[in-house]
Amino acid sequence: MTDLLRILVSPVAWLAAFSAVYGLHGVLCSMMLDATVFGMSRSRLVLALAFVVAVLLQAGLLAMLYSTRYGAAPGFARVVSRASGWTGLVATIWTLFPTLAVSTCP
Amino acid sequence: MKALTRHRRLAAIWSSRPGWRGWLSTVNHNDVGLMFLVTAFFYFLVGGILAMLIRAQLATPHSAFAGPEVYSQFFTMHGTIMMFLFAIPAIEGLAIYLLPKMLGTRDLAYPRLTAYGFWCYFFGGAMLLVALLFGIAPDGGWFMYPPLTGKIHSPGINTDFWLIGITFVEISAISAAVELTVSILKYRAPGMSLGRMPIFAWYILVTALMILTGFPPLILGSILLELERAFGLPFFQLELGGDSLLWQHLFWLFGHPEVYIIFLPAAGVISTILPVMASTTLLGYRWVVAAAVALAILSFGLWVHHMFTTGIPHMGLAFFSAASTLVAIPTAVQVFAWIGTMWKGTPRLHLPMLHILGFFATFVIGGLTGVMVAVVPFDWQVHDTAFVTAHLHYVLFGGFVFPILAAVYYWLPLVSGRKRYFRLGEVAFALIFTGFHATFLAMHWVGLMGQRRRISTYAPEDGWTAINLISSVGGFVLAFGLAMVLVEVVLHAVVRHHSARNPWRAGTLEWATTMPAPAYNFASLPHVDSREPLWDDPGLPVRLARGEGYLGDPASGRRETLMVDVATGVPEQHVVYPTNTHLPIVLAAVTGLFFLSILIKVFWLTPVAVAGVVALGWLWVWRLGSRNDLGEQPIGRDLRVPNIAESDRPPGWWGSAFLLVADGTLFGSLLFGYAFLWTVAPGWPPPAFANPSPFALVAASAGAALGIAGGVFSIRNNRDGKGPVPGLLMALGGMLGLGVALMVFLAGAPSPSSHAYGATLWVLGSYGLLHAVLAGLMLAFLLSRHRAGYISSRRRAELAIAPVWIGYACVTTALILLAAYLPGLAT
Amino acid sequence: MSVTTGIVLSGCAGPLSPLEPGGPAARSIATLWWVMLTASVAIFALVMVLVALAWRAAAKPAAQNGSEQVWIMGLGLAFPVAVLLSLLAYGLWLGERLLPRDGADAASVQAEARRWSWAFSYDDAPGRITEDVLHIPAGRPVDVAITTVDVIHSFWVPRLAGKLDAIPGHVNVLRIEADVPGTYAGLSSEFSGPGYDRHAFTVVAHGPDDWQAFLEGGE
Repeated sequence: MTDLLRILVSPVAWLAAFSAVYGLHGVLCSMMLDATVFGMSRSRLVLALAFVVAVLLQAGLLAMLYSTRYGAAPGFARVVSRASGWTGLVATIWTLFPTLAVSTCP
Repeated sequence: MKALTRHRRLAAIWSSRPGWRGWLSTVNHNDVGLMFLVTAFFYFLVGGILAMLIRAQLATPHSAFAGPEVYSQFFTMHGTIMMFLFAIPAIEGLAIYLLPKMLGTRDLAYPRLTAYGFWCYFFGGAMLLVALLFGIAPDGGWFMYPPLTGKIHSPGINTDFWLIGITFVEISAISAAVELTVSILKYRAPGMSLGRMPIFAWYILVTALMILTGFPPLILGSILLELERAFGLPFFQLELGGDSLLWQHLFWLFGHPEVYIIFLPAAGVISTILPVMASTTLLGYRWVVAAAVALAILSFGLWVHHMFTTGIPHMGLAFFSAASTLVAIPTAVQVFAWIGTMWKGTPRLHLPMLHILGFFATFVIGGLTGVMVAVVPFDWQVHDTAFVTAHLHYVLFGGFVFPILAAVYYWLPLVSGRKRYFRLGEVAFALIFTGFHATFLAMHWVGLMGQRRRISTYAPEDGWTAINLISSVGGFVLAFGLAMVLVEVVLHAVVRHHSARNPWRAGTLEWATTMPAPAYNFASLPHVDSREPLWDDPGLPVRLARGEGYLGDPASGRRETLMVDVATGVPEQHVVYPTNTHLPIVLAAVTGLFFLSILIKVFWLTPVAVAGVVALGWLWVWRLGSRNDLGEQPIGRDLRVPNIAESDRPPGWWGSAFLLVADGTLFGSLLFGYAFLWTVAPGWPPPAFANPSPFALVAASAGAALGIAGGVFSIRNNRDGKGPVPGLLMALGGMLGLGVALMVFLAGAPSPSSHAYGATLWVLGSYGLLHAVLAGLMLAFLLSRHRAGYISSRRRAELAIAPVWIGYACVTTALILLAAYLPGLAT
Repeated sequence: MSVTTGIVLSGCAGPLSPLEPGGPAARSIATLWWVMLTASVAIFALVMVLVALAWRAAAKPAAQNGSEQVWIMGLGLAFPVAVLLSLLAYGLWLGERLLPRDGADAASVQAEARRWSWAFSYDDAPGRITEDVLHIPAGRPVDVAITTVDVIHSFWVPRLAGKLDAIPGHVNVLRIEADVPGTYAGLSSEFSGPGYDRHAFTVVAHGPDDWQAFLEGGE
């Protein structure tokens, strides 16, 4: 079971972060925040922070999968779990970078 | 003992009753798998006929063949049947039939559940078929958007057939998913570690987990819409605080993973057949597993790409556009792994290989157009046009029907023990391939010229006449090809033309059985040391037949198999399966009565049906177990392991855990719906909040504490020889506390029919109550089992299951009360 | 080359064709389509050639053909990452440009859908309502506020812009623009029941003088 969890953890963490950021975006839009901080609107700042937290979380998980203490034993599970770890990290950056680059609520 | 004697004795133990009556009581995966497949292909035929009617209607402008009312039923039922009554059940049937053989075991984890799932599918499908025959079939499009499907705009029974029939059929998907997950994780041949599993098992494991988390949002959406239609609880009605967009979210939360639930098993078929056709091993097995896992999880982050035109802010769309492009990467990894496999080996052009080539040509185009519609501005133009219809047919026909046809031709000898005599398949393939591309390439084109999907007719001035005619002609060519496949399969069943064992020279274990595969699969279970056991050890089938593996002695007269450790495949427990019984079909019929009573609004029947389900469920579980301690069981090869009744993690514990994954997803979707309405629906906040009741909070906390402590005590005291009764009674009291708390909460909530807020609280409270009652019933069951002598300090397995459900009921009750009371307290 | 392009284009022309654009939004999306089509044809050809070559590759020693490095890392990962990232950037950049932003000199109109007709009203001519015909000024962006009184519909003028849904309780704003005066066919493009086939409308784009005349009460 532990090996299965190692394989699933990073992509599932991506899914959780992705859904949470999308939900956060919806909540921020319904709150209509328009004040600006450091030249960014407050809602974009919050979203960008969430993005950074999600990336750090994935980096942490990846480090765990590469560590001797928490990572899988050499062989099948190690290769697959590390590939999944990279999937989670790349997916987080790939799908959540719009928090920095794309216009938010109308 | 000679191999033949062993075969006779095992066959007597494992066979279903002779004749068609045997189908009604069989629980064997060989029978039920084929029953699933035959029924699914029957629906493929029905859905195909509907497709032909659609193409006949659109072949010419101003067609008077069918009016818009009838035509709406055609396209709604075509989509519904192909998705829910063909594709998913065909996958289930294929997996149910093949997996135990590939995994080197004798049956799936819960044989009676396999049969129950089939009968739910059978009866639920029959409901929809009846609606179609009487001209009262669903007509709102296969994704059933309210308010069009609400009571005001669709007052007829048509929509109810969809909501109730499909929910009934989904029971079979959920039970198959639980069963396949547990079977793959725990019911394998000894020695088969995760890294030695056949690749098909990995794909089905991933798919089953996706069904557990993908279907609940749809089931929840259907329940909510039916509650709105039948009892006036507003969830999607604007005037009373509902929002129709909630349905779209719930539907596509299911609907997008659904596409991959259909594609991944087909990819598993290709990953299995293609290396055999090229006489080599799969290139990058580990990468393909990682890609399948990535694809499965990424596919849950795509649902909003079906909603690009609903006015969601651009950043929201950007997340999903990005995710939708990303998902193409694991797909590309698999496609290039397959092509690399062909380069690595020496590909041969057998008939299954032709269909795999058909898959490559078709699916790659479908993937490319899929990337196109993932780009937001382009989707704004082609959304809801024939372009999207064409795209999804390229994906589903290319990604599912071609592989499933390859599978039919590849595994047919295993089912029948024969080989093909008439060579119709090659011609059929040519017709299917050209017909398909003519139909759907033309459909892309006409979509780009502005033809919307779901229109029943068009004018000559639109300029679509010639293209539609090409598309229709292509469609009929395609249908002719598929009919030839059917003829060939029927001929195959009639004409005796004996096939040698393992005709494709494959390496996986399903070919180690005799052909056709016997009911017990293997006379003794193999010990697996590699991914292709038959290539490493060609003598294996003979040695298994001689009884040289595990459990080779049929002396006990029971249906036996082994449970193994998840990661390593070390044998852990000895399993005795239930035998032929009518319980599954009877339980499915009574379950059907429940759905029928709501469909035809005979509500006095509903509680009768529920009582029937509870009574039969009780009987179902009662029949298992033993009144004597069994001790360690010899399993052959000088090994002894305990029976499942004398373990801490019996099959029921595993099944409960995965069923609760699905249940928890349903609950999570409900909380999502609540939050969604709160933030997005125009009619919120509601006019009045629920009054927080201190009594409910105290009763719930006390109930949870008692329930959890009672569960733990029952196990601990029983182990120490003091008996489980005090702990069970304590836990029962705890569930009573939860129930009282939830009833007090429901009594203090606003009326469920006045506003979506009240309606949501009502559903939340009822959900909690249902689980408290369920856990209470389990505890009552355990008390009577203990009195009847089924539980001892050794035979402790049953006690392990109730605490899982108690814990779940406690956690959900806490979340329900928090979700209901916090907003009221905050304001 | 231009002859072929001409034939392909004429095969896609028509009153409802997004590929015969009559305004900036539809034009940029049509360009996007042609770019994606070209790339897709090239990728499809590449994959098919690789599949076909498997039969020739079979003659070579196995060790040369079966490399995970080439098939998984190269073709499976690096190649699609490069293609998809550029396409995603292009799509998001274009999507940003098509949004109705403040600052442009845009006319505002309202489109209200019902089964099975459209009613249009105009900020510049209060009280004026037209049934199934939307009047707009040519050469100037127009923001259409889309609503519905019953089920979900969708506002789509294929030659001018993409579509946007009319959802109960929500107001969605779509920016359209016609280059030159003329008539453009519009459709409702979300299935809405038995009258869906004929749920259509027309957009009439006026030159400056005609537009002024329309606002003052003429047709």
